[in-house]
Amino acid sequence: MTLLSLPIGITWVLGTVLAMLDGRRPLVGWLSVAGLGASFVSVIVLSVTVVQNGPLEMVAGGWPEGVGIQLRADVLGVTFALVSSAVIFFALVYEVMGGVRSRTFPAFVLFVNTGLMGIFLTGDIFNFYVFFEISMVAAYVLTGYRERDYQVRAAFIFAIVNLIGSVIFLVAVGGLYHLTGSLDMQIVAERITQAELAPTVSIAAAILVAFGLKLGLFPFHYWLPAVYVGSHASVVAILSGALANIGGYGLLRFGGDILPEVLALGAPVIIILGTASIIYGALQAVSRRSPAEVMAYSAIGQVGYILIALGIGGPIGFAAAVLYAVVNSLNKLLLFLAIGLRGPLVGVAFAIGAFSVAGVPPAPGFLGKLALFRTGLEMESLANSIALVTLIFLGGALSFLYSFQVYQRVYMKPDQTPPAPPMQTDPFSAGGPNKPSPLAVRGMVVVLAALVVAVGVWPEPLLVLSDGAAAVLAGGAGGAP
Amino acid sequence: MILLISLTIAIIFGAGAFLILQRNLIRIVIGVILISNAANLYIIAAGLSRGEPPIYPLPEGAQVSDPLVQAMVLTAIVISSSIAAILLALVYRLYVSHDTLDLEEISRAERRAAERLDSGESLDDRESSEGRPEREERP
Repeated sequence: MTLLSLPIGITWVLGTVLAMLDGRRPLVGWLSVAGLGASFVSVIVLSVTVVQNGPLEMVAGGWPEGVGIQLRADVLGVTFALVSSAVIFFALVYEVMGGVRSRTFPAFVLFVNTGLMGIFLTGDIFNFYVFFEISMVAAYVLTGYRERDYQVRAAFIFAIVNLIGSVIFLVAVGGLYHLTGSLDMQIVAERITQAELAPTVSIAAAILVAFGLKLGLFPFHYWLPAVYVGSHASVVAILSGALANIGGYGLLRFGGDILPEVLALGAPVIIILGTASIIYGALQAVSRRSPAEVMAYSAIGQVGYILIALGIGGPIGFAAAVLYAVVNSLNKLLLFLAIGLRGPLVGVAFAIGAFSVAGVPPAPGFLGKLALFRTGLEMESLANSIALVTLIFLGGALSFLYSFQVYQRVYMKPDQTPPAPPMQTDPFSAGGPNKPSPLAVRGMVVVLAALVVAVGVWPEPLLVLSDGAAAVLAGGAGGAP
Repeated sequence: MILLISLTIAIIFGAGAFLILQRNLIRIVIGVILISNAANLYIIAAGLSRGEPPIYPLPEGAQVSDPLVQAMVLTAIVISSSIAAILLALVYRLYVSHDTLDLEEISRAERRAAERLDSGESLDDRESSEGRPEREERP
């Protein structure tokens, strides 16, 4: 049972210790990488255990059942924990290899990891809120990393908008407690069926707004471009690859697991929001010039697919949503790390990420698109099926277009050295804007690209996880895997 | 009592929302603090039951008021106070780099950055590429 507390505990304790040390020293940086690696390994072991033996539960602090706070790991939780931990790990390695420039950076990355693992492995809605705030507060600080003027502005925008989202979520938690008299997710899910519809729907709306803000869905996306364009590459990778998973996981957990009836009721709204996100994100991305901006708008479009799959629901829809969320995290990690770099080999890594976003096999993005097509074909009405398949195809074509516009502008200029992109071109080299990045960092990004392709070529583990996660949701609260 | 509490929450939340829409950064921070405290009050309102204080030893047979909301709100208050601290630190940092607390000035800087982004230059505002070095912390 200690296995369940390891992913949360290791980085929490280590983060507290490292906060007092100077994070710019390579030793401290590598220590944090080692701690995060240990945490990642414990998540892998936990995932294997959960997939083989079913959900794990424990009550924190040795309190009797019903009094203490429940930690619970099911396939849905560990899937998101696995991918978020991997994203944070690679982003931290990237930054430590290139040279950390702030005392506190490694410690805050560890705190983000702690908060995320806590969110994915808790069985208590208030505990969810507390871990949510731990990871968000660490993320506010990380957004301002490097402290350029525009980065401090981005941190302020990010903090204010997301704090309002957090407060809305806190109100929803309070409302659920009002209605059910419990904070345990399973008990809330049981009792909420007896509650009146009107308060339940308003709570569900608050939850949708809160997580929509985190994801950067269409009507709540306004903070996203400023933050994703301004922040440092490894920070953006953490924000869009790991932190945005809070939104996807939260909607799946609260919508699919705790409030399934309201989710079925609100499906049209969710599908419309998803469609609007896809179209808006793709059109904006096509019309932008700078790579970081294109990718920021692309992030808005990509979460739309997750939302559509969630809205359709059912085992196939939920599996597609989980799969797409995981694949999207990996794509964003690779792309945002690659566009910060200059030099040979980086273009290859970027192209792989771009292929994945567009959904070209064997990149893992293809799996996500395939799962969505399957979802579309399973729909009852033929007209809806056709509309959805057309939308997915159109979105894919547009994402192919904008990804390769970026590729063309940045990497395919044989007659001249690549132009300086508008962000600080190379975050690591002190030399001119066109000097190549350190070989170690470029090598890491290429290794990462190879891993992403490996996930696409050997997708079985990912499919097992996403089907298991969908079974948890479809089978009611904490169902058998 | 329920009406009174709801009215209080509504007024605090409304005042907070009004302050967030102001131009002065300090007022925005105060608005966020007010809104998060409105949420805290809302949670407290879930525990408005009559009863003995839930302190051991519990009186025999008597009804005890709900201790869980108190615990939740205590946690939420700690979180909102640390968030207030971090926001004020961010505002101070913005003041140091922009010499202003006016949101309009700061969004003007943001717009200038966006224009430079369109023309393919650096995002940096006052600092040119080889001008002021990056702010380094002292060890």
